Amino acid sequence: MPNLFGKKMIEISNLTKHAGNSIILSDFSFSANQQECLGLFGQDATVKTTLLDVIAGSTPPSSGVISIQGFNMQTHALKAKQLIGYQLANDPGHPTMSVKTFLGFIAALRGLHGADKRTRLEHAVARLELFAVLDAPLDSLSIDWKRKVAIAQAILHGPALLLLDEPTDGLSPEQKPAFKALIQALTQEMTVIVASRHCDELSDLCTRALVIAGGRLVADTALPDLQRDSRHFQAVTLTAESPLDLLALAVLPGVAGIEEHRHAPGTVTVLAMPGHTIYPHINTLIASRRWKINSLNLEPGRLNDVVHHLSQEASA
Amino acid sequence: MKLLPIVLIRQLASYARTPSTYLNIAIFLTLSVALGLYTSPWLEKNNSDLHVFFQFHPWLYLLLIPALATQLWSDEANKGFLGLMKTLPVTAFDWVVGKFLAAWFVASTALLMTLPLVVIANYLGEADNTVIASQVLASWLLAGSYLSVGCFICVLAHQRTVIFLLTLGLLLIASGLSSLLDALEHQAPIGLLDTLASLSPALRFNSIDDGKLTLRDTLYFISMIFAFLSATTVTLNYKHS
Repeated sequence: MPNLFGKKMIEISNLTKHAGNSIILSDFSFSANQQECLGLFGQDATVKTTLLDVIAGSTPPSSGVISIQGFNMQTHALKAKQLIGYQLANDPGHPTMSVKTFLGFIAALRGLHGADKRTRLEHAVARLELFAVLDAPLDSLSIDWKRKVAIAQAILHGPALLLLDEPTDGLSPEQKPAFKALIQALTQEMTVIVASRHCDELSDLCTRALVIAGGRLVADTALPDLQRDSRHFQAVTLTAESPLDLLALAVLPGVAGIEEHRHAPGTVTVLAMPGHTIYPHINTLIASRRWKINSLNLEPGRLNDVVHHLSQEASA
Repeated sequence: MKLLPIVLIRQLASYARTPSTYLNIAIFLTLSVALGLYTSPWLEKNNSDLHVFFQFHPWLYLLLIPALATQLWSDEANKGFLGLMKTLPVTAFDWVVGKFLAAWFVASTALLMTLPLVVIANYLGEADNTVIASQVLASWLLAGSYLSVGCFICVLAHQRTVIFLLTLGLLLIASGLSSLLDALEHQAPIGLLDTLASLSPALRFNSIDDGKLTLRDTLYFISMIFAFLSATTVTLNYKHS
């Protein structure tokens, strides 16, 4: 693999996309390097999908430049497309084509052949554990299998840039850890851009977050910074069997407020003031009062809230 | 250009897996032979060529070609599949020509299945094989030009029924042009008639079908294929941008 450190994997400048009279994306610019995992967050799914479509070259932008490893998507579309793997939000379906035939067809269209094609196909199938469904027609698969086939199709030619659109949709909670491990492994090999509604799921995967609101890029920061903006950053959620002394919690140093959970009695979230750590104080209080605690969680910050907040700000 | 064979093979596999392909070819062959034998005493007359069968091809293709055309982009009817195809490094030319050649190959297979008639003609009497070859070639070129029209309709419409009806309508006009010319014979100026006659694929087909294989008529069909495939490629490129 050529050393690409320092070279921009993808560079987007002043990208604008109109659909009819409405503006979907306006003046969008960012760039990403090798081995980065970018989370694409925002309330509007169509905007995120459109952005990925434009990057992948399936819809042309109204104006602006996209370059993938120096190849301009407008002028060198075929070379740029060869570097991209794209898992679309709409899963591929076909009434008769089996998973094996489908992957073989895509591999052939990616220009793979012979032994190279076979090993790469085997590798992709093994990575997503598709052995059980290889001979099943695409349309007969359940949504999680379809998602996996869509991802296998996107990674089989070893792209430099991988675009994932809502990859965790339809996956059961048990499947998600394995899936996260897969994305983490892929980030070592390529630049990954993940668009998702479930920001918190991706919080430990992504290195950078792009927040889109109202068609504009409203935040492009490291993910921890975005979490720090959350009201719940450093907040502690605890569940107790007996009613808690809320006043004692409220007067602890650094506590900004207390939220009671209406649907789960006995569960409270204690918010921290910015820059303060309250976890040790709460621990001490629990120990001294001998409260029977069932669960005690330190929150990393709720990304969904931050993204929602940013969107509200942008539209206001 | 490199990816054209892959598109072609995929499309052939798609035709092979669809039962309606076999049904359409079977109907085409049955009607071709049945109409030929029913309308003329070919067996008794000891004809040297197969004109009685081939004269119906412009009309029989009205059934076969739209049916084949509706299947051209049926794989891509699925939204996710179509979206994925757009992200692949394949040019519009590869898609269009690959799919067209696959459909033409299927039509050629249908045509080749009339081979037993050639054998029978040779067995029963003195068959003029050069005329027969010219007739097969004419029919083959006609199928190709009709298919190119079908390809073009496919990128304009998405629903199967619409594709079928539009192709059928357009081909009906093309095939019916010669009948229209007969009706207009004494009413319209001769210049207009000549222009219309030169446009009619059916008349061109008849002239090759009679054994007069000229470069002019052959080029007419080839240029028609070329024109419609270019139009298809341009339209597809335009739609994606």
